[in-house]
Amino acid sequence: MVLPVHKYELSVLDLLKEHRRMNLDELVSKLHLGKDKVMWALENLKEKGFITILHEERGKIRINREGIEYVRDGLPEEQLLRALENKKIYVSSLDEKGKIGFLWGKRLGLIEIAGGTLKPTARGREAAKNGVPMGELLREISKNPDDHELIEQNLEALSELSKRKLVDLDRHTEIKEIEITKTGAEAVHEGTADPIDQIDRGVIASGSWDARGFKRYDINVKVGRQIPAMKHPLKRLIDQLKDAYVSMGYQEISGPAVESSFWVFDSLFVPQDHPARDAQDTFYISNLENADFKNVPHVKTVKKAHQKGWHAKWREDVAGQMLLRTHTTSVSSRYLYSIVNDLKKNPDSYMLPIKLFSIGRVFRNESVDYRHLGDFYQHDGIIIGKNLTLSNLFDELTKIYKFLGVKIKFKPSYFPFVEPGVEFMAYYEKNKEWIELGGAGMLREEITGVKRSKLSVLAWGPGIDRTLLIKDQSISNISELYNNDIGWLRSRQEV
Amino acid sequence: MPVISINKRYLYSLVGQGIDDHKLADYMSKLGFEVENISGDDATIEITANRLDLLDAIGLARTLKNFMHKSKRFHYEIENNQPALDITVDRSVGKIRPYISALVAFNVEVDDNVLLNLINFSEKFCETFGRNRRKIAMGFHDFDAIKGPLIYKSGEDLEFVPLGHKEKMSFSNILENEEKGKQYASIIKSPRRCFYPALSDSEGPVAFIPILNSQRTRITTATKNIFIDITGISEYAVNKVAEVLAASFMDIGADVRKVKIKRGEEQRLTPEMEKRYITIPIKKAEREIGVAIGYNNVISLANKMGYEAGMLGNKIKFRIPEYRLDIIDEQDVIEDMAIGYGYEYINPLPIYYSQPGGLEERTKFNRKLADIMVGLGFSECTDSYLTNKQNNFDKAGISDDKSAIMLKNSNTDTITMMRTWLLPSLLNNVGKSGHEKMPQDIFEIDMAFRAKDRKPFESYHLAGVSINPKANFNTAKEVVEGLLYAAGVKYRISELKHGTFIEGRSAEIVLEGKGIGFFGELHPLVLKNFGIEEPGIALELHLESLYPKS
Repeated sequence: MVLPVHKYELSVLDLLKEHRRMNLDELVSKLHLGKDKVMWALENLKEKGFITILHEERGKIRINREGIEYVRDGLPEEQLLRALENKKIYVSSLDEKGKIGFLWGKRLGLIEIAGGTLKPTARGREAAKNGVPMGELLREISKNPDDHELIEQNLEALSELSKRKLVDLDRHTEIKEIEITKTGAEAVHEGTADPIDQIDRGVIASGSWDARGFKRYDINVKVGRQIPAMKHPLKRLIDQLKDAYVSMGYQEISGPAVESSFWVFDSLFVPQDHPARDAQDTFYISNLENADFKNVPHVKTVKKAHQKGWHAKWREDVAGQMLLRTHTTSVSSRYLYSIVNDLKKNPDSYMLPIKLFSIGRVFRNESVDYRHLGDFYQHDGIIIGKNLTLSNLFDELTKIYKFLGVKIKFKPSYFPFVEPGVEFMAYYEKNKEWIELGGAGMLREEITGVKRSKLSVLAWGPGIDRTLLIKDQSISNISELYNNDIGWLRSRQEV
Repeated sequence: MPVISINKRYLYSLVGQGIDDHKLADYMSKLGFEVENISGDDATIEITANRLDLLDAIGLARTLKNFMHKSKRFHYEIENNQPALDITVDRSVGKIRPYISALVAFNVEVDDNVLLNLINFSEKFCETFGRNRRKIAMGFHDFDAIKGPLIYKSGEDLEFVPLGHKEKMSFSNILENEEKGKQYASIIKSPRRCFYPALSDSEGPVAFIPILNSQRTRITTATKNIFIDITGISEYAVNKVAEVLAASFMDIGADVRKVKIKRGEEQRLTPEMEKRYITIPIKKAEREIGVAIGYNNVISLANKMGYEAGMLGNKIKFRIPEYRLDIIDEQDVIEDMAIGYGYEYINPLPIYYSQPGGLEERTKFNRKLADIMVGLGFSECTDSYLTNKQNNFDKAGISDDKSAIMLKNSNTDTITMMRTWLLPSLLNNVGKSGHEKMPQDIFEIDMAFRAKDRKPFESYHLAGVSINPKANFNTAKEVVEGLLYAAGVKYRISELKHGTFIEGRSAEIVLEGKGIGFFGELHPLVLKNFGIEEPGIALELHLESLYPKS
């Protein structure tokens, strides 16, 4: 049987087991718990029968004002005896104190009356020299009022003194000693009184838990939440997205963020006077050389397409300007160009279709404030194959987003490099509206330089941030994602 | 993308029965546009940049009527080839603004709606497709006030009363003092000189191109016949725009006449209203969209999108509407077929595919490092690549080594360059989070940028910061050793002096004789610069040389 024993009680028992019998002061000073806690523990242990408490009577003396005077001057009978050594004293001439001295001297057989005068007896004459025992005691006790033994030995005399109102005698019961009982000693020995709190090596090694049991914890106790280190929610989503792509057979590709206009715009059939290329919207670089296209035969295809499609001159120096890419489609464009080039040389150089994806930062020269950011993430997918259809594009995108748990729908839209053009949207539960995720479509022939009947290319390039907004309703706006407020990071939940 | 604001009452009166707010929003979305607001008197609609014929209420109404199968008008012809007016183009405009086209619309009932629509259309058009008048500008005039013929010429600094003014002003005065003059002056200025292109009749300038029209030829509600000039730097564009305008005026019942443009020996009539046809095998359209349209539906579908169409064997011959300046070739027509069919009815169709996908080696390595950092108790951040010298260099205690990629034209003062390393971003993050519980341990794995020999270099870095009352060099080294051991990197440590760290409490990480990163105890001045109140350590690693060679 396991008796619930508190840890204070346990400390007391442990100590008593060692010493068997101790007095209270010793116990208190060895336990460092404070007297109150020890007393509480003793009370409990006594009830459980683990200890016996031995009590003793204790007395305490307080000497009254009259008593103090007699300590100095002697008791009245002593004073009277000393006075009788030198002169005759008549009974009738005694003052108040003299009367008291006479009464006590007579009662103690120290003084007699002979013919109206007081006469010391033989013992009286001796007492005049050495004092009476009661006076001795009074003087003694005034020096050691707490002398327990002195008090106990002279209890009778002290009670006389008390009757004479010279002292107050206060007597009460106190703990003398504490002794461990047999059951108590066995309890400590067997550990039955010692439920386990913090498990330590000793507990595990001893195997004592069956006998001791475990201390119960308050399951509603308030504790501080531990803060886990986590990946950034956006990077986590990017991981998930990459996994989605790979699971559908896409190979990851990447390319420069600091890029020439050629790969960002021209190669994608964006006319050279298109507003998207304005300094107002695109960051240009001031300290880099223009890209040159000596080794890029593709430039000719691009030039021809622009002149035909946009009825305008096409300038290589405009295409060579260095800028921060406004979309990751530039990465797709670079790969597309080299793949198409290979295919032209050898139609069997690839097994079609080829599926590629890239994820990277893109830039917009916006007025940056707490809501608008200069850079954010985008993902770009591309499928190069034969006889690909708009319905294939819908299928791929639907599956990729299904992997992320986001349902999408499609509507027509326009981008210079795709035809048909597609915009796809997802339902944003929080605002109860469909929000745009990004653009997609079938690349124009002008971009590949190959007729669609021979080679078709599906492409898309949506942002990522909004998808996270849809998945994690606790995010209130996109700029939070790039703020890295540590409190915010710590309050994230994995979604 | 242009956003237009159209008076709903006027639009609905042009469309006729069967249109309401709900249907407008629905049809616009199905056509690829978006109604942004429809609650008031005006509808605000976002139009895609290719469909500039929809910038006015008339063009929009025409497209809606076709889409609702309410219209049988698919093309616009001007039977009368007698020009209403002649314009002689002088060689002097060749250098600055060579091309002009024009048309005259007779018998226009000019009420407030028409006037407002004209103004809105012209403004929106010149701002977007016209690239703020640089590529295209147009002017509307009262034809009866013009004492023709006209001459389009660039030369003297002439005088006239500009639109909205009472007094005569010289062209140069207009460029310096008039609102529109100041706004568009750059279009007719070359670095060496200023041009003064003008369209003039026998009484003087009708328009200072492309700045202001004359007060004399302004349009009022009393105007019956409207002359429109379109000038620009692309011949194709000025001619097509004349056709877009012709179609709109014909839609509101005007009698549109051509204008003769004479350039030396060459003469041409605008708007040309040239007939264009594109023929597409129906199978091809079906194959690209991935649906079966069927011969029975294809004509009706073409009409719905505004094309007159006919079968030619197993091909469809589309006549391209004159106002559609966005149709380059059959790809554009196929898209319209898809839109007419309805994207919502195009069922997803799987691509059968069986090649394995894969991640780049860098991605795999970065993931591994991120996992280790999280395991070491660091939380991940995602910071902007854009920064400024103060953050990137000064506050971090290092000097500008002139290797940063600098932005030429940022709209924001605090963004002037690409970051060259990641640590300042992280220090910034902890600096603004001082009230959060310590320790604060964060990291980032992302890109940093440098220019070398005027060429860009991009590389992945890993940076970590730990702000912690007990941080010191040894705790920094513990993190570095833990990270690099787990990542399997063999390295050496050597002494390093670095402004971000306390001297004697920082070190370089060396791999095969090359420094690949550093770490140490952050200098109190750097901490202070970023507003950090507790001690901290940091590390930054260049990852490019760590990636497995593929």
